[in-house]
Amino acid sequence: MISPIHIISISLGVAFAIGFLGKNSNKLSAVIMLLTIGILTFISAQWAQAFYFGNQETVQIFTAGYKPPFSINLQIGVSESIIILLINSIGLLGGIYLFDTLVKTGKNAVVVYLIFIMSLNQVVLTQDIFNLFVFLEIQSIATAGLIVLERNRNSISSGFKYMIATGIISSLLLIGIVFGYYFTGSLNIADFIQANMMLSKGGAVALFLILASLLLELKPFPANGWALDVYESIKPGTSAMLSAASASAVLFALYKVLPAGNPQTFEIVLGFGLITFVGSNLLGIKQTNPQRLLGYSSVGQIGLIVAILGMKPFLGEKFTFIAIAIFISHFLAKAGLFWLSGIIKADNIRDWANLRKKPFLLVLFGTFVFTLIGFPPFPSFFGKWELIMQLSQSGYWYLVGVILLGSFFEGIYLFKWLGYAIKLDNVNLPEFNINWKKIIPVAIVGVLTYLAGYYSSFFTTGTEHFEKFFVPLFFIAILYFLDFLPNFVKNIIAIAGMSYYGYILLPGLYETDLLRFIFGAIFIVGGVLTLIAGFTYKGQRKGFHPAALMMFAGLGGIIQASNMIEFFFSWEMMTLGSYILIIRGKKSMPHGLSYMLFSLAGAYLILAAFGFTFSQNGISLEALKGLAFAPNLIYGLLAVGFMTKTASLGLHIWLPGAHAEAESDVSPMVSAILLKAGVFGLIILFLSMGAEAAGQNSILYLLGWLGAITALVGNTAASFQEDAKKLLAYSSIGQLGYILFAFSIMTHLGWLAGFTYSINHFLFKAVLFLAIGAVVLRLKTHNMYEMGGLIKRMPFAFIAVLIGIITLSGVPPLSGFAGKWLFYNAVIEKGWYFQGTIVFFAGTIAFLYSFRLIHSIFLGQLKDNHRTVKDISIWFIIPIYTLIIGIMIFSARPDLILKPIGNFLMPYFPTDALSWTDTMAKTRLGYWDGTWVMIIIGIMFSLIFAWLFILSRKATKVEQFNIAYSGERPERPETTHMAHNIYAGFNKAVGFIVTPNISKFWASASENLDGAAGYFRRIYNGNGQTYALHIIIYTLAMYLMIF
Amino acid sequence: MSYFSLEYIAMITGFLLIVLGIWAILTYKNLLKIVIGFSLFDTGINIIIVSIAYVKNSTAPIIDSAVSLKDAVNKIADPVPQALVLTSIVIGLGVTALMLAYVLKLYQDKKTLDIESFTDLKW
Repeated sequence: MISPIHIISISLGVAFAIGFLGKNSNKLSAVIMLLTIGILTFISAQWAQAFYFGNQETVQIFTAGYKPPFSINLQIGVSESIIILLINSIGLLGGIYLFDTLVKTGKNAVVVYLIFIMSLNQVVLTQDIFNLFVFLEIQSIATAGLIVLERNRNSISSGFKYMIATGIISSLLLIGIVFGYYFTGSLNIADFIQANMMLSKGGAVALFLILASLLLELKPFPANGWALDVYESIKPGTSAMLSAASASAVLFALYKVLPAGNPQTFEIVLGFGLITFVGSNLLGIKQTNPQRLLGYSSVGQIGLIVAILGMKPFLGEKFTFIAIAIFISHFLAKAGLFWLSGIIKADNIRDWANLRKKPFLLVLFGTFVFTLIGFPPFPSFFGKWELIMQLSQSGYWYLVGVILLGSFFEGIYLFKWLGYAIKLDNVNLPEFNINWKKIIPVAIVGVLTYLAGYYSSFFTTGTEHFEKFFVPLFFIAILYFLDFLPNFVKNIIAIAGMSYYGYILLPGLYETDLLRFIFGAIFIVGGVLTLIAGFTYKGQRKGFHPAALMMFAGLGGIIQASNMIEFFFSWEMMTLGSYILIIRGKKSMPHGLSYMLFSLAGAYLILAAFGFTFSQNGISLEALKGLAFAPNLIYGLLAVGFMTKTASLGLHIWLPGAHAEAESDVSPMVSAILLKAGVFGLIILFLSMGAEAAGQNSILYLLGWLGAITALVGNTAASFQEDAKKLLAYSSIGQLGYILFAFSIMTHLGWLAGFTYSINHFLFKAVLFLAIGAVVLRLKTHNMYEMGGLIKRMPFAFIAVLIGIITLSGVPPLSGFAGKWLFYNAVIEKGWYFQGTIVFFAGTIAFLYSFRLIHSIFLGQLKDNHRTVKDISIWFIIPIYTLIIGIMIFSARPDLILKPIGNFLMPYFPTDALSWTDTMAKTRLGYWDGTWVMIIIGIMFSLIFAWLFILSRKATKVEQFNIAYSGERPERPETTHMAHNIYAGFNKAVGFIVTPNISKFWASASENLDGAAGYFRRIYNGNGQTYALHIIIYTLAMYLMIF
Repeated sequence: MSYFSLEYIAMITGFLLIVLGIWAILTYKNLLKIVIGFSLFDTGINIIIVSIAYVKNSTAPIIDSAVSLKDAVNKIADPVPQALVLTSIVIGLGVTALMLAYVLKLYQDKKTLDIESFTDLKW
């Protein structure tokens, strides 16, 4: 193997040799430089391979033939080889990316770039602290050289600020090193660690200066204004190198020297790292310049990694994995993002909508954003998971909170940015050039994030059976590469895949676990049915199928999960897929963002709760049972986390917009199906709390009230909507309120009611959203007052909606009545009369909005422009009527489903079960027979229908314009249409309960956050001297805190 | 170590220069004066390095007829800091040159040396 010392010798040799090349050899020298970095990459890869696959031991290389401390020694071990491999390969890619710039600037720039890479290698390899200083200085000087690759006013002034800052920092480092030598008699880092410098005050101060300056090199918040200016103003290709390559070397240097301190030193590093992580991400919220924003994010991420270095003493054997997984995510994603910003060349993140003109760049952008936030399947997901688990296990629960808060701040600005790129108008933005030298490096790091993620899963606790989660992802990846095919081909593939998935998953579940079978059936059968509606769309429908299948794969994964990481992995896949689905809607940008932020916050609460559980009982989902310590905290966190998905009151503001603005077949997916994931989570939670035994828990009591009020507010708000899809969306909030209430009752009957509601809501909400969505597709409007009289044009839609609202409103004979009947039995048995009354009241309000769906859309006057409109598409009719068959079966033979559920519930809720004789169900309060109700009402309906039919033959048909417009003005319906603002009086009476106080609350929360970010970022006033002062004050503050 | 011994005085001087340098960096608005501040800062550090190497009544760290290999440890000044200070001076020179180059470019751009005029990037 080639000794790593040749990394230095070869680079220096080539750097000098380039100087001898002629004047017109810029291109040649750049090629030679790339080849040289290629050789460096090869050397480091060779070592990494020997360490990883062979039994290579750590090697010391002594220079000058003497042993330390009389000479400088290099060390290469596993970590060193990995870090220099990363530095050299990103150096190679970065060199390709910057190739044209370097050639244009001249061969001196080529030399500077090579020396920059070399110095980073040596910073990693050297074991001599003074040598470390020297190469850090070389790195600084080389950076100052690379900064002027971009020559304008801003880059030059930021270069000067950079020199001031690093000048002070390196001087502090030098003082520390000299006094370190004075107290230990050696310059060798190993000797420093041996010498126990913390014991003497002088040694401690020397070590403090060394560590503080290494920390300052990593741009800690708030002493980092200089670095932000640099990130913003220089070539993005250079920023990428600073953020990825330089940071890795300095982080590693800090890692090397840190053991010279004592446990307290680690804590201090941890503290300052976290302050940086949270602070920098908070201030990032206000940024609009992409490069500056990436600078903030960079600083934040590096702060997190610094904090992880400080956590080494209590992360145990998982430390290396956690640090590398989180580090490599930052490394790849940040390089990729900076490079992308060099391709797109926009000064404002809003202009990144331009990226969409090249869809694969948008996919790469999304990949990097999700990598930074820690979504699966990227390495940061596994790293963050393991970090939270280990922190909880060591008892540092508050650190979990701080880290998740910082991550959330980061999510705010990154998802805002991603939303801009996906949705904002890009017609007027200038075309940008595609240069393959710039695309290839981005594409490579993009692919590497996926590989690294897959590889990371092997190192994480509880991932022994992860193949079943990866197989669907591979399927989705293949589907993504087939995205050029027409929609109907992809739809067939998707449906086939989903059906096969259901075929292998569901039959087995029916025998073993009925709960999972029911939800699995809702997710997968529902998924297939709603996918069928997608055949309506012509063309390619790019990006739809991978997103939809990702959501369904996540939903299926939740069902299959047996431990917490499997569950959380699937949960996040589901969030990712549904976010992309939701934001596809035309006006969905703000709703996609609020959906994502609520989901993210919810997921973090769940993650924290899982961590706290893991620290007590292990990783299995069963661990949630019988928690000895802080059970109510954990259950509370989980409940709130799951309720972000069920959109309970207070956490619901994302739902109406997200569901209403989504595409016609996406609305039922995210409403009828996706919301059940939250319900499923709540059920798992309630069962873990001890089922019947937990009946008196105060959390459940609160959730019961919350459910009742949610039902009331959701239904009331629904009846005031003019937008049909919004009406259905608010109705979902109300219905999910019922479901929450029913399960919170925690009795046998309550749960039966809960299951019945869940199944019903799935069936009728899918029917209604599909039918209304199909109508909207035909009419191109959501507003009900612009519809009307469609009963003759769209009979299929009319019948579907009619059956949907009969089920919804809970009148006999359809299955909604079964739910209501069980529900009132449960309420009376439980004695929750007040809450029950509210829910009853909410139920009557449901009639109001149900009536509007029929009255405003299908009855009344047909609008002029709808005279020739066709009935809804056959591709909607098929799933709708399949679902209606489901409703009919469930209504006529509820025992087919409720009996097995009852048996399933017996072990958990043994008392007061429903007793069945044939199709008749009996409680202590009464009995009910779904089949007979159906038959009797069927007969009555037929008789009345027949009678009316006979009578109607005598009636005279009045054409619409036979007499008058019936007081309507079809061209401006909202002025006179009685369906517009139909419940004005009712609104006057009870409208106050739906004043959007909660939306106002969240709006003011986000405004305040924005304001705080805007206020605090003013410390970066742009003056190099102020930044120098920050550095000095930061050092002094650290000093005062420590000594 | 007496308070008036050479290494003590040298060390105090070094620290004074460092403080002076930092003072200059933080208070003078003129870019050139800031660069001079850095030079003072560097010089202060270099003096400290040399003062650490100093051993009273010792000779230069050269082993010849005057100093035999055996008692070298007791008789010579510490050679390591002397080697360090050379490196440090060279680096200081490089940094100063680069800073001056930047100052020149800044001056050419705005025809002023006032650091407060170069705050276009902020927040």
